[in-house]
Amino acid sequence: MQSIEKIFDVARRECAIIKDNPMYWVCLVIFPIIVTVFFTSMMASGQPTDMPVGVVDLDNTSTTRSMIRKLDAFQTTKVVNKYSSVSEARTAIQQNKIYAFLYIPEGTTADLLSFRQPKISFYYSSTSLTAGALLYKDLKTISTLGSAGVGSSLLSAKGATSDQIKTFLQPISVDLHTINNPAVNYSVYLNTMLIPGCLMLFMFILTPYSIGTELKFGTSKRWLATAGGNIFIAVAGKLLPQFLMFLAVVYGYMFFVFGVLDFPHPGGIGVMLLLGLLTVLASQGFGLFVSCLIPSLRMSMSVCCLWAVLSFSLVGTAFPVSAMDSELISLSQIFPLRHYYMIYQLNIFNGYPLYYSVSHIIALLVFAALPLLVIGRLKKAMVKYDYLP
Amino acid sequence: MERKTGLLNQIKEGIHDLCYIWAEEMKHIWKDEGVLTFFILVPLLYPLAYSWIYTNEVVREVPVAVVDMSHSHLSRKFIRQFDASPDTKIAYHCKDMNEAKDLIGQQKAYGVLYFPSDFQTNVLRLEQSHVGVYCDMSFMLYYKSIFQTATSVASELGSEIQIERSGNWTERENEISTKPLDFDAVQIFNTTGGYGNFIIPGVLMLIIQQTLLLGIGLSAGRSQETKGYRNLVPISEHNNGMFRIVLGKSLCYFMIYAVIAAYLTLIVPRIFDFVSILYPGDLFWFMLPYLLACIFFAMIVSFAVRYRENIMLMVVFTSVPFLFLSGVSWPQSGIPEFWQWISSLIPSTFGVRGFVRMNTMGARLGDVLPEYQALWIQTLVYFFITCLLYRKKIKGIDR
Repeated sequence: MQSIEKIFDVARRECAIIKDNPMYWVCLVIFPIIVTVFFTSMMASGQPTDMPVGVVDLDNTSTTRSMIRKLDAFQTTKVVNKYSSVSEARTAIQQNKIYAFLYIPEGTTADLLSFRQPKISFYYSSTSLTAGALLYKDLKTISTLGSAGVGSSLLSAKGATSDQIKTFLQPISVDLHTINNPAVNYSVYLNTMLIPGCLMLFMFILTPYSIGTELKFGTSKRWLATAGGNIFIAVAGKLLPQFLMFLAVVYGYMFFVFGVLDFPHPGGIGVMLLLGLLTVLASQGFGLFVSCLIPSLRMSMSVCCLWAVLSFSLVGTAFPVSAMDSELISLSQIFPLRHYYMIYQLNIFNGYPLYYSVSHIIALLVFAALPLLVIGRLKKAMVKYDYLP
Repeated sequence: MERKTGLLNQIKEGIHDLCYIWAEEMKHIWKDEGVLTFFILVPLLYPLAYSWIYTNEVVREVPVAVVDMSHSHLSRKFIRQFDASPDTKIAYHCKDMNEAKDLIGQQKAYGVLYFPSDFQTNVLRLEQSHVGVYCDMSFMLYYKSIFQTATSVASELGSEIQIERSGNWTERENEISTKPLDFDAVQIFNTTGGYGNFIIPGVLMLIIQQTLLLGIGLSAGRSQETKGYRNLVPISEHNNGMFRIVLGKSLCYFMIYAVIAAYLTLIVPRIFDFVSILYPGDLFWFMLPYLLACIFFAMIVSFAVRYRENIMLMVVFTSVPFLFLSGVSWPQSGIPEFWQWISSLIPSTFGVRGFVRMNTMGARLGDVLPEYQALWIQTLVYFFITCLLYRKKIKGIDR
């Protein structure tokens, strides 16, 4: 009973510190809101639309012009300019005016009508991978349609029905099911990793910040005294108010993304609440672990920063972990964001039962428990630590 | 000390002061391991870490599960060709969709091919046949591999069926009847379509800006803490002009980053064989305003720092948004106008855009003129703002 009272004493002390230091408010209220608004408004359209594309149409017949009009009508593509040669169009890509172009050589229509199999080309640049992949799809579709157009007019002249034409042109069709993200919405796909990644970053660095500043400004002895000399009470009391604030931030993010923007979440609210809790515990655990290991404020924060920034890559959302070297596949396990994303995608996004992600849940709990190994070092540092600027 | 007048003397004195401040700042940096971490260690090691992560460039052999209800010659042919494609492999044969779904849940497969029982029958009946492709959408590159492979296998088998039905006489006729209009897809610049070639140039530029922000912020924060403003604005007989202070300090940062930038832009891409078709002269002229703009930008930001560690709280999280604003991950044409305006305040926006085009697309300096000009404008504007801020600070101390 007494120890619970002490925990509240420390927590009260911590609340006073948080109230006076604007950094907490900036990092826990203003920055998360900026980040969330930034990423969700950036990708509000789901997929980039109307990307600029050029055309080198040396044939310039009604057939090729209708092809270009069709290309322009695609949602992703916008034909912005015509160029008189391939090298001119290439320069336009280098000048960032277009992202891709279609090349139709002279005589294409004549060759097409006389069955001499003309060849058109499209050039696309994957220096922006998203743009490259989406434009490739459009340009390929338009080129295939060019073939299909010839075939279909030929067949209808022979008297085939539209069903027969469809069957002849595409004997096997692919029925694509993009599960839970039917519109291939990039916002749904990326923001559910990027925003939590930023939130974890704040939790990662605020934890060593709050502990390190006590050491730096020499208030750690008073902190320990409030806790009656018990390091567990001291840490629990100190991290309790932050825990509640972090939890509110994470749940706030989830409410906005899944409640307001209505991102797919067949897993339901229960899993979300659990995942939010695990995320906060694991992040605080990791932050505390680092600050026990390296009590210097600057070094512990630096380590947490570098860790958090690397986790955006090793989470494997954009470039999958399985395609990395085998050492990196193992290393990805020591980044909490990786486990967060796996639990999110399995249980919330795809709606699998929790037992599919047991290993990831355990991993997050291990992160939360990690400080127990080294908490003794923190006490030592609190009693006799001199700040080195 | 007696003060001499005359323009020549003033310039002489100014250069002398500038060198003094430069030397002081250099000494401070070498003694400060916090600053050194961000000035030397991070720019040295981070690019290597990122390059290692993305060095495999593309995703190959994505495991896919098959549910074959058709058990026919045609479905098996489809499966064989799908398995033989470089990007995908058939990892499991399942008896129904539930089994396949379980495999996706265990992350043993990332997609499912489903052949309905009438898959071959439909073809023989001269009706259109369907193959179902189910993709786990939490990893976009897996989806891309599976979908593209499935489409190309389907169209390949489709052509064979077309040929059978056409009853042509010659091989050439077959070619023409299946593909009257031939086409070629050419992937230029990033010829592998690789992830590393796409993201690394942007990351390299961003590392320059972010480490400068952190390093200069830490250094300024330390001065603020240890000696109040006295050190941030070194007040001695050598100081009476803000230009000297700003130029002296920035010269020091510039010297360090001239080396760092050369390492990042010239050596790192070569170690990992990323595309790098730069013209060295162009690179030099482009990096000059980029480094200067970053340095002055960082010096302005450093004025907001009261305690040195606060800079980390303020700067680190911006790395990912800044990368997005540069238009690498999300095409520039798709960035909302409001964010376009915000992005024009940040040096990395133009630095990344220009460098990516010069490094990966072989653009010349003239092709990146808008970015180049923007960087010079930023350099000038941020330089004068920095000077004004120092002036305010000096006046504050005098009083």
